[in-house]
Amino acid sequence: MGAITLENIVKSFGAVEVIRDVSLDIPEGELVVFVGPSGCGKSTLLRLISGLDQPTSGHILIDGKDVTRVSAADRGLAMVFQSYALYPHMSVRQNMAFGLENTRMPKAEIASRIEEAARMLEIGPLLDRRPGQLSGGQRQRVAIGRAIVREPTAFLLDEPLSNLDAELRGTMRAELAALHGRLGKTMIYVTHDQIEAMTMADRIVVLRAGVVEQVDTPLNLFNKPANRFVAGFIGAPRMNFIEAEDGRVMGVRPQHLRLADGGLAVTVDMAENLGAETLIHARTDKDQPILALLPGQLTPTRGENLSLVHDPADEHWFGADGLRL
Amino acid sequence: MRPATSAGAVVTAPLRWLARATDVPLSAWQRLTGQRGMIALFLLPNMAIFGIFVLVPLVINLLYSTTGGTEFFLSDRPQVGADHYARLLDCGNYLDPNSCRDDMFWIAVSNTARFVFFQVAVMTLAALITALILNRALPGKGFWRAVFFFPVLLSPVVVGLIWKWILQRQGLANLFMVELGLEPVNWLTDRLWAFVAAVGVSVWAHMGFYTLILLAGLQAIPRDLYEAAEMDGTRPFRVFWRITLPLLMPNLLVVIVLSLIRAVQIFDEAYVLTGGGPGTSTMFMTQYIYEVGFANLLRNPGLAAAASILMACVLIVLTLLQLYLSRRSGAK
Ligand SMILES: Nc1ncnc2c1ncn2[C@@H]1O[C@H](COP(=O)(O)OP(=O)(O)OP(=O)(O)O)[C@@H](O)[C@H]1O
Ligand SMILES: [Mg+2]
Repeated sequence: MGAITLENIVKSFGAVEVIRDVSLDIPEGELVVFVGPSGCGKSTLLRLISGLDQPTSGHILIDGKDVTRVSAADRGLAMVFQSYALYPHMSVRQNMAFGLENTRMPKAEIASRIEEAARMLEIGPLLDRRPGQLSGGQRQRVAIGRAIVREPTAFLLDEPLSNLDAELRGTMRAELAALHGRLGKTMIYVTHDQIEAMTMADRIVVLRAGVVEQVDTPLNLFNKPANRFVAGFIGAPRMNFIEAEDGRVMGVRPQHLRLADGGLAVTVDMAENLGAETLIHARTDKDQPILALLPGQLTPTRGENLSLVHDPADEHWFGADGLRL
Repeated sequence: MRPATSAGAVVTAPLRWLARATDVPLSAWQRLTGQRGMIALFLLPNMAIFGIFVLVPLVINLLYSTTGGTEFFLSDRPQVGADHYARLLDCGNYLDPNSCRDDMFWIAVSNTARFVFFQVAVMTLAALITALILNRALPGKGFWRAVFFFPVLLSPVVVGLIWKWILQRQGLANLFMVELGLEPVNWLTDRLWAFVAAVGVSVWAHMGFYTLILLAGLQAIPRDLYEAAEMDGTRPFRVFWRITLPLLMPNLLVVIVLSLIRAVQIFDEAYVLTGGGPGTSTMFMTQYIYEVGFANLLRNPGLAAAASILMACVLIVLTLLQLYLSRRSGAK
C-alpha cells in the first residue's frame, strides 16, 4: 500500500505553466524527497498529489488506482504542513482526534491511537496543552502525530523542518528518518535543504521550473549528475564549471581539488576557514570563479597564486546543451 | 526645477516661521514643567473638548435629574431629590408597563429591549452570513463589499427617509405588491410590521460595518487550517462549527457588544421612519427622553434627565464589557 504514480502531470495557474509534464513512480514504502530552487513547483506538486489542488492534465495513481478526481479526504494520505496548521483553539489531543472523529471511529480506538502516537513521538505530557503553549519542535511533533494517527497510506510533508533552528532540524531529521523506518510507509518530503535531501532520501527528485531534472539515489545524484543544473544544485559547496575550448564544460567538485604544482593556475580572492577545512574562493586567468575545499587550516593571502590539481576520475563532462556526456 | 522650488519656499516659509515662533513658548514651557508638562500641554485641547461637550453636560444632566419644573437654568429649578428616579422605577410588575407609575417609560424600555434583542440577533446573523459569502472567491468581490458597506455612510435621517418613501402606504414596496397582484401592506401603520420595519431598516443601515469586522476576522484565519480539515474529510458544517466559529469568536463578541451599544441608543432612523408609531409600538428609550425633555406639552426636563442617566448606566455596563473583551483579545 502506498505506491504513487504520476503520469504526465501538468498544472497551470492561468497562463503560467507551473508543473510541466511530470511523470514519476514512487514505490511503496519509499522516502522520496523533492528538491529544487524556490518557486520550482515542489509545493504545487505535493498539493496535486494530496488532492488539495487539481492538475490541469495528467493522472495520479495510488496503488494503481486512478485518484485524479478523488477528493483529498478519500485518497488516504496525510499531510504535514510547513506552518504545521494546528488548530490553535484545540488541545493537542483534540487536534489529533479531530480527523479521526470525522470517520465516526469509536472513542476507545481514537484514544488508543493517540496514546500510541504520543508514545512514539514522546509528546504524552503535552496532550492537554494548546499549540500556542508549545515550542516549535513540539508543534512539529504534534503535526506529525496528527498525521500518524490517521494511519495513512502515505505521508506528504512540505518543508516540515524549515521553521526550526539548525540544531533542532538536525535532531528532527534523524527522528523523521527513524520514524520512516519504523512505519515503513511511503513518504514524500519537500525541502530545499540539500542536507535533508541527501541524508533522508531513498531517492531524490530534482525539480527545476516545473520539470523533473533527475530522479535517483542521493549518491548517484552526487556522483553522476545528469546535467549541469543537477551538478550545480546537489553538493555543497557548489561544483566548479570550467569551460573548454570546444564548448564542452568540465565540472569538478571543490572537495576533489588538491594543491600541487603543474595544475590549474588560480588567483586567490579570499579564504573561509571552517576549522577542519578551508574554503578558498579563487579565479582562473580567464576570470572563471573556482571554489576549492582543502583540508587543514590554510591562510593564503589575497592575490596569491595557487596551483590546483584533481583526479581525472572526479571530472564530470557536460555538452553545450548541459547534458552529461 | 527652479520655479517649483521657489513656489515651495513660498508655502513653507510662513510655516517655518510659525514653527520657530511657537518654539519659543514651547521650549520655555518644557524647561519649566519638564516632559510631563509637555504631555499635559498636548493633551489639553482634546481634554478641553471632551470636558466641555461630554463631562460637563454629564454632570449638569445628573444635577438636572434631581430638580423639577420646566425652568431652564439649574439655579431656578427646585430640588426634588430622587423623586424622578422613584417615579421611573415605581412598578407593580416590571414586565407589565401598565402597572408602572410612568407607563410610557416602561413601554419605551420594553420596546427597546425587544428591539435590541431582535436587531442584534438578526444583524449579527446577517453580517455573519454576508461575511462568509464575501469571504469566498466571488466574482466582483470588491463591488459587493462596497454595496454592503454603502448604507453605513448614509446619515440615519436619510436612511429613515429613503425607507419611509419605500414603505409608506403608497410607497415603492406597495406599488410592487400591487403590480404582482398582492394586497398592499400597511408597513408603517401596522403595529407588528412597523416594528419589523424598524428592525429591518436598522439592520440594513448598520450591517455593513459589522460585516467588515467579521470579514477581517475570517481572513485572519490561516487557509492551511481549512486545508488540514479538508485532508481529514471534515464536512463543511463541522468545519464551520469547530474551526471557523471558534476562531471568529473574538470578532463576533466585539460585533455583538458594539451593536448592543448602538441598538440601545436607537433613535434617528426609527423616529424618521415611524415617529414611534403606530401608537407607542416603536417608541424607544431615546425617543421617550427626547419627547419628555423637549417635545411634550407637559415638558419635564428633570424626568428626561433621570431617564437618560438610567440609560447611561446600561451603556456603561456594555462599554465596560466591550473594554474587557478587547483587552482580553489584545492580551492574546
Ligand atoms: N495559487 C497560485 N496561483 C498562481 N501561481 C501560483 C499559485 N501557487 C503557486 N504558484 C506559482 O507556482 C510556482 C511554484 O510554486 P510552489 O509554491 O510550488 O514553489 P516551491 O517549489 O514550493 O517554492 P518554495 O521552495 O519557495 O516553497 C511559483 O512560481 C508560484 O508563484
Ligand atoms: Mg513550497
